[in-house]
Amino acid sequence: MRKAIAALLVLAVLIGGVFAGGAEEGGQSGTVKLTFVETMTSPSRTQVIQGMIDEYEAQNPGIEIELISPPYEQADNKLTMMLNSNQELDIIETRDYTVKQFVNNGKLTDLTPYLENWDATDDWMDLTWEAAKTVNDTPYFVPQFFYVKALFVRTDILDQYGIEIPTTMDELYAACKELTGKAPGQYGLAFRGKANTYKISDMMLLGDVGNVNVDNFHEGLDGKFFLDNEAGREALAKYVDVFRTACPPDSINWGFNEQINGFVSGTTPFLIQDPDTFSSFAGQLDPSQYTVVPLPVGTTGKRYLDYGFNGLSIPTTSKHPQEAWDFIKWMTSPENNAAFCKAYGPLPIYNSVFQEDPYFSTGGYQAWAEELNDENTVFVKYPLDAPEYPAWAQVQEQSMQSLLLGNITIDEAIQTWSDYWGF
Amino acid sequence: MINRKKKMAYKVFRVVMLALYLFAAIIPLYWIFITSIKSGDEIYTVPLTLIPSKPSLASYEKLFSFSNFGVYFKNSLIISLFASFGAMVIAIMSGFALSRFTRQRIKGVIELVMYFTQTIPTFIIMVPLFRIFSAVHAVDNRGALGVVYIATVVAFCTIMSKSFFDRIPKSLEEAAEIDGCNLFQSITKVVLPMTLPGMAAIFCFAFINVWNELFLAVMLINSSSKMTVPVALNSFISKAGISWDVMSAGIVVALLPTIIVFGIGQKYIVAGLTDGGVKG
Amino acid sequence: MKNKWYILMMIPAFLLVVAFLYFPLARGIVMAFQNYNMFDLTNVHFIGLDNFKAVIGNPNVSFWQILGNTVIWTIFSLMFQFLLGFGLALLLKKPFAGRGVYSGFVFYGYALSGFAIGLLWSWLFNGQFGLFNDILTRIGIIDEPIGWLSNPKIAMFSVIVTNVWYGIPFFGIMLLAALQSVPNDLYEAAVIDGCGVVRQLFSVTIPYIKPTIISTLLLRTMWIVNFPDIIYAMTNGGPVNSTNILATQMINTVFKEYDYGKGSAIGVIIMVILFVYSVIYLRLTKSSGDDV
Repeated sequence: MRKAIAALLVLAVLIGGVFAGGAEEGGQSGTVKLTFVETMTSPSRTQVIQGMIDEYEAQNPGIEIELISPPYEQADNKLTMMLNSNQELDIIETRDYTVKQFVNNGKLTDLTPYLENWDATDDWMDLTWEAAKTVNDTPYFVPQFFYVKALFVRTDILDQYGIEIPTTMDELYAACKELTGKAPGQYGLAFRGKANTYKISDMMLLGDVGNVNVDNFHEGLDGKFFLDNEAGREALAKYVDVFRTACPPDSINWGFNEQINGFVSGTTPFLIQDPDTFSSFAGQLDPSQYTVVPLPVGTTGKRYLDYGFNGLSIPTTSKHPQEAWDFIKWMTSPENNAAFCKAYGPLPIYNSVFQEDPYFSTGGYQAWAEELNDENTVFVKYPLDAPEYPAWAQVQEQSMQSLLLGNITIDEAIQTWSDYWGF
Repeated sequence: MINRKKKMAYKVFRVVMLALYLFAAIIPLYWIFITSIKSGDEIYTVPLTLIPSKPSLASYEKLFSFSNFGVYFKNSLIISLFASFGAMVIAIMSGFALSRFTRQRIKGVIELVMYFTQTIPTFIIMVPLFRIFSAVHAVDNRGALGVVYIATVVAFCTIMSKSFFDRIPKSLEEAAEIDGCNLFQSITKVVLPMTLPGMAAIFCFAFINVWNELFLAVMLINSSSKMTVPVALNSFISKAGISWDVMSAGIVVALLPTIIVFGIGQKYIVAGLTDGGVKG
Repeated sequence: MKNKWYILMMIPAFLLVVAFLYFPLARGIVMAFQNYNMFDLTNVHFIGLDNFKAVIGNPNVSFWQILGNTVIWTIFSLMFQFLLGFGLALLLKKPFAGRGVYSGFVFYGYALSGFAIGLLWSWLFNGQFGLFNDILTRIGIIDEPIGWLSNPKIAMFSVIVTNVWYGIPFFGIMLLAALQSVPNDLYEAAVIDGCGVVRQLFSVTIPYIKPTIISTLLLRTMWIVNFPDIIYAMTNGGPVNSTNILATQMINTVFKEYDYGKGSAIGVIIMVILFVYSVIYLRLTKSSGDDV
């Protein structure tokens, strides 16, 4: 019987021991340890960031930075939980989807005093300021890069059938239809039917509609939902039509991955995506097989583009905000920002980088350089700070799928969306 | 004669059915395996190639050199072994006690408590669990994660182990006690040896469940050096889609330990379950 | 006297379960009655049944459709997992050369994670680049690719097939073990009575292993209802909600909408359904599944 008790005790100690075993190993005195959470994780990106951290640590003895890289799909949730249980973090990646809720919950430091003393901000693009001040007109983060859509084109396939690269949405739709059926399994557009579909469909529709509030393009200048008008209905009809006639039926269930497969395999030679998509082609497509052009303009003669972004913030729980800021400043300096974007794909935040570094105005990036400088480009925003926004993706996806499959009409879809947003 | 024909027909039927099951079971395994040895550009070629044209181990090299998979593998192995062994030991105690306990009402309540755990969705406990862990500074601790894993599987393990012990007559322990054994001795020397295969079954069950667990590991582990295999596999899905080359290699490698545990344990699992099993 | 020792022995398991499952669960249930939305945590307070009302009355994601999907998903997955698993167990009962290796191959699916299975099968089912359409086209059964996951009428079928594939080994293993415990003399007696193979199955085998069948079916039902991994990876509930079940809607509400209050409310609904189901199930099977 004593042995039984002893065994129990040993077990209890074991369990207790593993708990206690995890106590923080204190850093050496004098070193400041910073914790950095990235959220747009991918193995290669983590490697790039870790490389930069190593470099920074080498330059700044006394600073130690621990990088936490949760898997992309759960990263925002994990960071949310970490912040809300007040874990001590020093540098975090805030993104378009999360900035509002972090601010609501009082988790982000206002960076205004830091930014005032930093010359590099003079070189920021207008977009950079716009993004930084997404919430309350206050900079809660330093943007790191932008995702802006452009049109990827498989020139080899277009050449084969003698099809010109489209410059307007109508030309794009026509080209898609012409391609479809040229060979067994040949379609036009790498359609996005699943997972944040609105990020692509809205950009395809807006050019035909126009007349929207650029700070929240869901709102038309007439105060109604932006598609709730004749132009909107027509644009939606064309969109539905191109899906039904020139996209693989299966593409209603396509996410990013299937889109890429469709493009790489040539099944769908047109793809509307962000610049970081380049890395997905590596080893599968030769640069001579494709090109990137600005997103085609709509019947209004303009192209409307939203910009996805991500930036570095200092959480209010940080005990070393000054050290954290020094790192952020270093990490987002023109030089490092350019290097980071080259290694990882998206667009840098500085005017000078676009002007001085030919990398971002030639090759595939030329399309974005043109988009950014074209007077026909209008940058618009989602209502990122609306409480309805987080649930919007599912509502939109579901009703859009219903519309594409013909279960509901265009009017019913627009009604659903107007109702959801309270127009 | 008729009987013989019937027997022959039955035999043919059996072989055909066995072949069908094998075929259905093996297609996904075959597909993931050949994908893992295809070269990057061949993975997405249409029409599909059913046999890789130039097989290579490049994906595996990439997996281990590029993503620290070796470290994750080691972490997973340690945590899974710790948790499944712990769950087994604890379930032996609780299962035995539950089997021999004579106060029916308490026994019923405890059994219900164990069964009811199976209805709890992971997502409802995730945030509260995270908060508790955060409050006691147990986030990013492999040992703590292991303990949570024990908790998630121990209820089912208890249910299983109780049913094994139910099959062992009480008279055996009583005889042992007359011979001068105490309770501990009569369990370890008399009862346990008879249920070893059953315990192996419990171990395998726990191991497979813990080895594959994703969400708790994502939430409760921070450092890359402490990450587990399912988390690592999940991180091959990024904004830029899934890297199927490393992903397929990772899935194949992740399958190995469970298949080994399963391969060794299978004989015991079936034997053990035969003795008792989840029989109520 | 000994009961004291027994209680002591039960304590570790009991404590673990209470500390790491029931205690957080209690907090989770409380959240189901609060406006606990990560979007704004500055004003968390009790809102009664509002979360439940919002979930059930959601104008954009029909609760009843999701509930119906959950029932279909569970019943068909369970039925075919069981029948095919039972079939496999019967085939494996008699030893044959290479049975060990063979069962290794048919049972390995049990060792995969649901997440990996979902990813893998969504690829196999992919309309353009999937293996299934490729094979069917090659052997000339179809001309047009089938939209396994993109056609709302077929998508549920496809995810259930995947789940069945995943669940066969569980029943195979459990029932094989049970079958081997059936004493041989029972069969001998049946043969003497002139029972054929089929009658033996129904009058000897099934009655003998009934307790195993009852408890494995109950456990498996709970697991299938609470198993979003496959659907989450394959269709995420789409297209048009055709494969959305309670468990996937819960993930979406928690992970995408950050609304832990509503997410927990769905969790509570799942648990209530399972609890009621278990009680009824055990009543109905009481005669043989006594101490399940």
